[in-house]
Amino acid sequence: MNLRTPRGVKDFLPLEAEWKLELERKIRSVFHRWGYQEVISPTFEFYDLFAQGSGDQRQAYRFFDQNGDLLVLRSDLTTPIARMVATRLKDEAKPLRLGYIANVFRYDEVQVGFQREFYQAGVELLGSSSAAADAEAAALAVTIFNQVGVSGFKLDLGHTGYIQGVLSECPTQPVRERIWQLLRKKDLVGLKAAVMTGDLPEHVRVLLLNLPHARGGAKLLEEAYAGAPNEMARNAAANLREIYARLHDYGLGAQTEIDLGMVKSFGYYTGMVLEGYVPQVGFTLCSGGRYDQLGMGFGSHLPAVGFALGLERLMLALELQGLRPEAKSGGVLILPRSWPHALEYAAGMRDQGIRVEVDTENRTEAEAAAYARQRQFARVVVVDAASIRELPLDGEEGSQC
Amino acid sequence: MLRIAVAKGRLLDSFLGLLEQAGFECGAVAQASRKLVIDVDRANLRFILAKPADVPTYVEYGAADLGVVGKDILVESDKNVAELVDLKYGLCRLVVAVPKASGISKVQELDFNSRVASKYPRTAEEFFNSRGIQVEIIPLAGSIELGPMVGLSEAIVDITETGRTLAENGLVVIETIMQSTARLVANRISLKTQREAIAALAGALERVI
Repeated sequence: MNLRTPRGVKDFLPLEAEWKLELERKIRSVFHRWGYQEVISPTFEFYDLFAQGSGDQRQAYRFFDQNGDLLVLRSDLTTPIARMVATRLKDEAKPLRLGYIANVFRYDEVQVGFQREFYQAGVELLGSSSAAADAEAAALAVTIFNQVGVSGFKLDLGHTGYIQGVLSECPTQPVRERIWQLLRKKDLVGLKAAVMTGDLPEHVRVLLLNLPHARGGAKLLEEAYAGAPNEMARNAAANLREIYARLHDYGLGAQTEIDLGMVKSFGYYTGMVLEGYVPQVGFTLCSGGRYDQLGMGFGSHLPAVGFALGLERLMLALELQGLRPEAKSGGVLILPRSWPHALEYAAGMRDQGIRVEVDTENRTEAEAAAYARQRQFARVVVVDAASIRELPLDGEEGSQC
Repeated sequence: MLRIAVAKGRLLDSFLGLLEQAGFECGAVAQASRKLVIDVDRANLRFILAKPADVPTYVEYGAADLGVVGKDILVESDKNVAELVDLKYGLCRLVVAVPKASGISKVQELDFNSRVASKYPRTAEEFFNSRGIQVEIIPLAGSIELGPMVGLSEAIVDITETGRTLAENGLVVIETIMQSTARLVANRISLKTQREAIAALAGALERVI
């Protein structure tokens, strides 16, 4: 028998599981305080839904059910939530604020921070196209990372409309497509070659070559607005300016930066895009943006904005910042020399919310002390009919609870 | 301090020369022959000496902010890193070659399901797919010229500078897949968090190329 786990999945043993659940509790608490209600989608759905919603599903786990229908393990939560809102939540007052924490499945190449089953926490704000909604989603992303204790978190904002606006100045679709791919890959050598050899107006060349370096704040946005080659790019710059101003109103301006060269692999974004990071981790911790067209595929016009963060990546960031919690001692191990008295004592402690274990193995006092140290109990108590006596746990911290 | 992953050998020497021209004195790296991590405080650079094929990996993970790697290896690795500067040295070609005796002069003439030995299986496969030619790729770690000599394959995909080693082994080039030179690559997050330092280094290098 094979006792290994398949590639790309992992166990969370008690200490790590507890840490993960604690992070999830903190994230849920932010969801709640920002008015986001959590939804739970099925683990698998029809393939067609994801193909329509999220596009290319070659990275998804696909399989057939008994009827021969092609199914897929959910590869993101945005598509199922768009489906819910287009169908069962159709008549709800808008905008809707929904959140989720769930495992998703993708055949990514396995490496640090990229597992095949991984956990995402995210939100979707559906039914609004306002800049205030974009800013809220961005502010919520920063707030979550701040609240779980990550230090030095920063969020970059870009805009699909700005890039598309500049690209629309390129003469042909193949050139636009090629340059978009080069921008996405951040291949500046290839970009330079394509821009210089393509039949492009000089001002477009300058804009395209400058895109990967276009990072900054309010001043950059003013320049982008003033130098926009067309209405589309100008509107995008104005939209981003408003979102950026709102983030300052949230008091999060210092953690936000504009990156006009940001290009997302997911094709469904239509407006603001975002990605968050810390210096200690070499890849993004969260990603998202505005996707106004996704609902169209499900028969409803539903402008929306959202983001997702990777829980394993968040845990990696905390670990690299030295913030992985260590095992804490606490709780009581009870040696029941009289069962009725011991269980009554245990029930009282449990009612107070204290971790209690009643020995089921008839251990001696010495055995119990050794076991208690191993399992990080703060106290060992011997309960008999007449007395409640505490055993000394020598050499250890001996913290009381 | 910027961390930069570089492969030992000729590429490293060329890169150190380029750095010196650009005003980053890093001679200490060439002298510290056995060390794998070398700090050059004056230039504010930490050199990580890695195997060529591993350079993109160090950079993608963020274990290095920057890397210097041949375009051929970069394409083959398919790693998610930003490509900043063409350093213009280490010029070579990735080619398809066959035994001269086969009489084949174009890739289209290769038989259906011909076997192709290569250290660049991903790039080779993509190339033949793009031409609609079905071949069997045989991944090898080195001495690719051996493939046709011992009957392992009908063709090879490998890098060559002058074509001399190929000719000595009775092989002729029938197609060039791409030209390769050394590239300066960067981790995508370092590009954000170390923007000024990276821009200064990349700019200084570009001015002396």
